[in-house]
Amino acid sequence: MVVSEVPAGTGFKVVKISTGKEVGKRLADMGFTDGAEGRVVRTGLLRDPLQVRIRGYDVLIRRSEAESIEVVPAAREGGSE
Amino acid sequence: MRSDSAAGLRPASAAPLPRVLRVALAGNPNAGKTSLFNALTGAHHKVGNYPGVTVEKLEGSRLRRGVEYRFVDLPGIYSLTAYSIDEMVARDFLIDERPDLIVDVLDSTNLERNLFLCLQFQELGIPVVGALNMSDEAEAKGIAIDDAALSSLLGIRMVRTVGTDGRGVDELLDAIDAAAGSSRGESKSIHYGAELESQLTPLEAAIGADRAFASRYPARWMAVKLVEKDANAFDRLRGHASGGAIAEDARAASAWLEGHYGRDAEIVVSEQRYGYIRGAVKEAVRVVRAPDFSVTEAIDKVIMNRFLALPVFALVLWGVFELTFAAGAYPQRWLEDFFSWLGGAVTAAMPGGVLQSILVDGVIAGVGSVFSFVPLVVILFFLLSLLEDVGYMSRAAFASDKALHAFGLHGQSVFPMMLGFGCSVPAIMAARTLKSKRDRIATILVIPFMSCGAKLPVYVLLAAAFFPKNPAGVVMGIYALGVALSLIAAAVLKRTALKGEPTPFVMELPPYRAPTLRGVLWHVWEKTASYLKKMGTVIMAASIFVWAITTFPAYRMPEEAVQGVKAGYSAEHPGSSEEEARAYADSVASEAAMEHSAAGLIGKAIQPAFAPLGFDWRLSVATITGFAAKEVIVSTLGILYRAPESADGGTGSLVDALRSDPHWSPLLAMVLLVFTLAIPPCVAALSTIKGELGWRWLGFEFLLLLSVGWLLGFAIFQVGSLIGAGSFGMAAATAGL
Repeated sequence: MVVSEVPAGTGFKVVKISTGKEVGKRLADMGFTDGAEGRVVRTGLLRDPLQVRIRGYDVLIRRSEAESIEVVPAAREGGSE
Repeated sequence: MRSDSAAGLRPASAAPLPRVLRVALAGNPNAGKTSLFNALTGAHHKVGNYPGVTVEKLEGSRLRRGVEYRFVDLPGIYSLTAYSIDEMVARDFLIDERPDLIVDVLDSTNLERNLFLCLQFQELGIPVVGALNMSDEAEAKGIAIDDAALSSLLGIRMVRTVGTDGRGVDELLDAIDAAAGSSRGESKSIHYGAELESQLTPLEAAIGADRAFASRYPARWMAVKLVEKDANAFDRLRGHASGGAIAEDARAASAWLEGHYGRDAEIVVSEQRYGYIRGAVKEAVRVVRAPDFSVTEAIDKVIMNRFLALPVFALVLWGVFELTFAAGAYPQRWLEDFFSWLGGAVTAAMPGGVLQSILVDGVIAGVGSVFSFVPLVVILFFLLSLLEDVGYMSRAAFASDKALHAFGLHGQSVFPMMLGFGCSVPAIMAARTLKSKRDRIATILVIPFMSCGAKLPVYVLLAAAFFPKNPAGVVMGIYALGVALSLIAAAVLKRTALKGEPTPFVMELPPYRAPTLRGVLWHVWEKTASYLKKMGTVIMAASIFVWAITTFPAYRMPEEAVQGVKAGYSAEHPGSSEEEARAYADSVASEAAMEHSAAGLIGKAIQPAFAPLGFDWRLSVATITGFAAKEVIVSTLGILYRAPESADGGTGSLVDALRSDPHWSPLLAMVLLVFTLAIPPCVAALSTIKGELGWRWLGFEFLLLLSVGWLLGFAIFQVGSLIGAGSFGMAAATAGL
């Protein structure tokens, strides 16, 4: 699944970023890398943008960017660590 | 750790006092870099621009124990890629200027992501010192950092600091001294794992073999950038003897990595770097208790609620405006009084003549009328800076991004656009925070549609004169129309002139922080300074120019004619006093002088172009003088419609003069309202656009705004005339205006 499909309040674990270039590099540089655990905190109206907690801090990303982050549901709930 | 080999490397630094150390202060946004910069340098700084770009460069120095530290504050960045102007500026400064040392300001509460940038600095081969900033906040949050362990794991000296109160500054300077004395060989750099290293090592060797190239660029950093397929790194290879061969090797290395890992090489590099950081953080950082987001979380539950976020944003905007105008009215009045007193005092103290006229009617009147908006602008900037420092601006971006994105703008466009309600000059400069060039251009081009403080008196005058039933409603309507126009213009621009791939919206959402007075005042000063600077130069020059074209060629109504006007007035107004007749004759004479001046001649020459909007030559003149500053339109109309300055300096008499003028109607007032909203901004704003985007975009913007203003004015006037100016007035009246 991808981050945009993760329900608000649910944890995930990053598998990979499926796009390169600017979008992919930015997401990777902000901490969305292989194995990083995070959580979708909330979304805006119309589920866009998303507030995502990753590596202990919060970041806003658009739905279109969230679609290029492949994840699996987190083993345990609410993991920001 | 101080090594004597440094003396050989840097002969200058071995010399006795004063030893100069050039230190770059770098780090992520929201890491408290500005407050640490202030703590390090005190009040000694100067603001400039990086060469060729419009990113501000802040420099400051400090003398301690015979060492002069020259700090340069680099823009806040997350990484050293070549995607944003801030990153490019930081990279070019570090690569081309090669400072003696980099101090990386790290947010201790958010170490993993902050170290990501730190390790890139390390690869540059410049000594790095890490400032574990906001260490008090980290402790309060239960994050225990073993700085000694972290230092030895990463090979980077780490010092705890608290920028807001200056704790750790001395220790940081000690660490700078020690690190600057150490040789380059001492610094270690990240190990990317066997696969990636197997590709980097031969590349590094090939770069090192090209002596000319290697003497300019750190080989390790270059190798990593090439593997990341960084376009700028490839550009730098060009023209070097083995450049072509190195580029070939690099492409092969990236391709191999992509085959091996099944993802883009630039992402592999980031992943390995984070992996390395994770290892170090695991050993050196203990989270005593789970990170506490409770306060921020509780506030955000309301403020960022998916249904409440936008209404809350609207409420915040409304509150900012109410406060600005309520609180700004008093100092505004004081300043107006001060400048009219100053004008009077200078008139009394100087002999009459051209010099007195330049000073009183040109400089004092011109700059004074702009100066009276300073309080409004400062209060607005204070409130917006407060929101920025508290952390609300990223929440506003969250609330508005979806809507703005539909129009081709960006959540980060919100802040510059809000500043635009104060003054376009700092607003246009604030658009520098936008990462993408196209987003930044679009934002700058639509900022003039946000009604600035100087347009307000024009609106207030016309609304009071012709829509007395609901002047506030009319003014609000014009503001709303401006916002609508900015969105439409952005949408059109993004589909035509600024077409391209959408840019990512990746924005940190910092926790709420209590603002410090010093920090907020600093931000207010930053923004106000650019405004004041423009006022002292461009607006001053424009005021003198407007004064000159309205004064020359000098024309004096013949005395017989003045007497005739006076006699006529007395005959028409039986019982009027001698002074009243004299005042009337004087105002007729000054109107005649204006009519015969260069401005009058220009106004008459261009009037045909504005005739379809219902403008006479007077309004054409006001349009021209308005380029000095928009509120000059009011004072020009004051002269042209013979409204003697009323005793309280208000515009009451001008309201009456316009109302009783047969040429004027609510329809014409509406045309002028919309026209003033949309036409090109004042020279100060125009010169700022030129400075930020260059002549071509300035020309484009000028024509765009002029056509929008003209076409809207034309449409309103023609349609209004068709249904009849009289019935337009009736309609306005029934609409409750």
